[in-house]
Amino acid sequence: MRTFRQLIPLLLAVLALQLIFRFGLPYVWWDGQAIFHWWPGISGFWEQGNQIDIVQQISINAILAFGMTLTILIGGIDLSVGAVLALVGTITVSILAGGGAYNSGALAIGLLAGLGAAVALGLFNGLCAAKTKMPAFIITLATMLIARGAALRFNEGRPMHVPDQETFFLQLGNGRLGGVIPVPVIIMLVIFLLAVLLLHRTRFGQHLYAIGGNREAARFTGIPLVRVEVLVYMICALLAGVAGLINTSQLYSAEPASGVGFELNAIAAAVVGGTSFTGGKGMMVGTLIGAVIIGILDKGLNQAGVHFSLQYVVKGLVILGAVYVDVRRRK
Amino acid sequence: MVGPPTGDVPLLALEGVTKRFAGVTALDQVGFELRRGEVHALLGENGAGKSTLIKVLGGIHIPEAGTIRIDGRIAGIRGVADADRCGIRIIHQELSLAPNLTVAENIYMGREPRRLGWLQRGRMRHEARELVARLGLHELCRVDAVVSDLTVAHQQLVEIARALSCQVRVLVLDEPTSSLSEAETEALFVTIDRLRQQGVGIIYISHRLEEIIRLADRITVLRDGRSIGTQPTSMVNQQELIHWMVGRDIKDHFHRPPHKPGKVALSVRGLHSPTVAGVSFDLHYGEVLGLAGLVGSGRTELARALFGIDRVRGGQVLVDGRPVVLKNPRDALAAGIVMVSEDRKKEGLYLGQTVGFNLALPWLREWIRWGWPRPARRDRIVQRAISEFGIKTSSADQCVADLSGGNQQKVIVGRWMEHRPRILILDEPTRGVDVGAREEMFLIINRLVEEGTAILMISSDLSEVLNMSHRVALYRDNHILQIAPAGQDSPEQIMAVLTGARM
Repeated sequence: MRTFRQLIPLLLAVLALQLIFRFGLPYVWWDGQAIFHWWPGISGFWEQGNQIDIVQQISINAILAFGMTLTILIGGIDLSVGAVLALVGTITVSILAGGGAYNSGALAIGLLAGLGAAVALGLFNGLCAAKTKMPAFIITLATMLIARGAALRFNEGRPMHVPDQETFFLQLGNGRLGGVIPVPVIIMLVIFLLAVLLLHRTRFGQHLYAIGGNREAARFTGIPLVRVEVLVYMICALLAGVAGLINTSQLYSAEPASGVGFELNAIAAAVVGGTSFTGGKGMMVGTLIGAVIIGILDKGLNQAGVHFSLQYVVKGLVILGAVYVDVRRRK
Repeated sequence: MVGPPTGDVPLLALEGVTKRFAGVTALDQVGFELRRGEVHALLGENGAGKSTLIKVLGGIHIPEAGTIRIDGRIAGIRGVADADRCGIRIIHQELSLAPNLTVAENIYMGREPRRLGWLQRGRMRHEARELVARLGLHELCRVDAVVSDLTVAHQQLVEIARALSCQVRVLVLDEPTSSLSEAETEALFVTIDRLRQQGVGIIYISHRLEEIIRLADRITVLRDGRSIGTQPTSMVNQQELIHWMVGRDIKDHFHRPPHKPGKVALSVRGLHSPTVAGVSFDLHYGEVLGLAGLVGSGRTELARALFGIDRVRGGQVLVDGRPVVLKNPRDALAAGIVMVSEDRKKEGLYLGQTVGFNLALPWLREWIRWGWPRPARRDRIVQRAISEFGIKTSSADQCVADLSGGNQQKVIVGRWMEHRPRILILDEPTRGVDVGAREEMFLIINRLVEEGTAILMISSDLSEVLNMSHRVALYRDNHILQIAPAGQDSPEQIMAVLTGARM
């Protein structure tokens, strides 16, 4: 129960943001003048289509953040997810485009090759982190550059169009179930459910908390540190790959330069959601809500016509505030 | 649990176990025997080798020589997993729990119950509750409590519960009662008794002689890494035990300088903090005040409070008769107090840096002026320290990590000597230092005292304190019990006070 009480402030924050964006403007009149001049056109925010839009937009960040949460839980981090996302897209599309006429074989090979590359990078990250004494921050900073370079190698760094015949692939990012719920949202929710089960209902998940809490104690109680750590980075990279497929599909093209800075948004979502940077503390639900908050800030501020420069400031302050509240509460 | 005793074969037998660390012999041909259903106390001064011995048992250290037999068969213990397989469970002095997990999660860490790949949280909780009830650790009945919310004593009980949650044949308890209340200690003893009846062999390490006499069937004393002997408890009394432990003739070849106390340098009045319980004393110039206490008595915490590291709640500190406020080490240094901490690797040296870097660091003001370093001045400071304190290094540019422990210690002390400190706090100045370097350290202390420095020396080595100090303060439970001129009380009497024995 304690764990769920931790979520209450987060849920309140989401609610508050919703309310501000919905009712904020009409009620902040002062002497007949809006205090927030830069906040017009806010009424559109609450419309149903808009809400779904936001959920769709947060899907990619949420999927990345789920993997990020796992790495932060064991006291690590993965900076390479944004670059992996771009690399997976380019690999997959280059195989699809190379296949010429539509055939399902090319699709399968493309998906396998893309996700396979992601998992291989994750394996590399994990082995380095577990077997050498290099810090995860540096390892994944390096693989971020390597993956980015590999992605830019394709088609001289120019975007590659997804062949129009690839209807299944295009559905990944743009389809709507029953004409309403976007496919990315469904994928995100399925991954969320799997991640919750993995984290809270398996030994593996329990071991993540143990390692993050006290690495030495975990070792002395016989937890296979290397195996667990490697798996964590592989899962994180695999999720980055899935996010890359969705991203590519949404853009109708693989853009080798896409995904820059996505890792930071994913970290922000995890941290706002209550994941402790020292490891051992955090929940998938928190990360999901964190992703929603970051999404509302991004989309909502944009919708509200807030100058983009101010959007960064607000986002920074929200992250700072969320973590400050968290740290204070845990003392 | 365990089959009936088979003949005379002991449950656990160590023969000729030897372990060296970088030339220092921590265990020298140690023999030890543990029977089924026996509580065997391991006794010895700090540094006698008790901890090393149990780490060898637990597979954390691999001995250079000697055999470990279980049921008469050689148990090839080459790692933690092997010790586990042999049913050896160790409860270390320092806790090894994950503070973010619950009691139940910690007890079953690494062995979480599962079915078809799914974690069985309910079963884990249920079994933990049963285990805790069976062991009589009713304080832990809330198995869903997060460990970081528990008191240290209860955390220790979690460790005990974890050790007993699976097959155990040999249970090692290293100072298990040091943070327990009387009632908790009683509960632990009941548990120990029950385990004894089940045929578990228990190795019990404690400084508290009363406990040992009450609990133990036999006692083995270690001294300087050697086993001095084993006796049934019924054959010895506390006095004999103390004599046995202290044992060695107090060596006479290091002498304190003549006691010529000057004015009062440091005066502490009723110092209070969470870890210091009302300490008062005077320290004179040209005097060594020895602070004798066992590990865990809170000596280091007193030093930390005096050096401004830990916050003080109340009381007064006067330097040269003037009250000073020590909020951080900068204040202490400004008041003329220098501390050499006991953990030279963590709190003393910049291990990755050169000897010169370490020696010149406190004196940046002397050799960097207006952003302009003057290498000649730096060299002068460094060379003077090296030659004055006989630091054996190939050059000032050698990495300090490559020096021997004794020379590292000399670097730490020597770094403060460009301008002599008025008050010097030495916390375990000879820990992990070989005999020769120890003597040199004593010579350095002597010279400083003759120059008039006031020295507060903390040491676990009783003979060292008694030989080097002019006065000795006995420290236990975070306060000074008595201060007396060295030589007034015998080592046995002092040890009796420190261990809380009744004579």
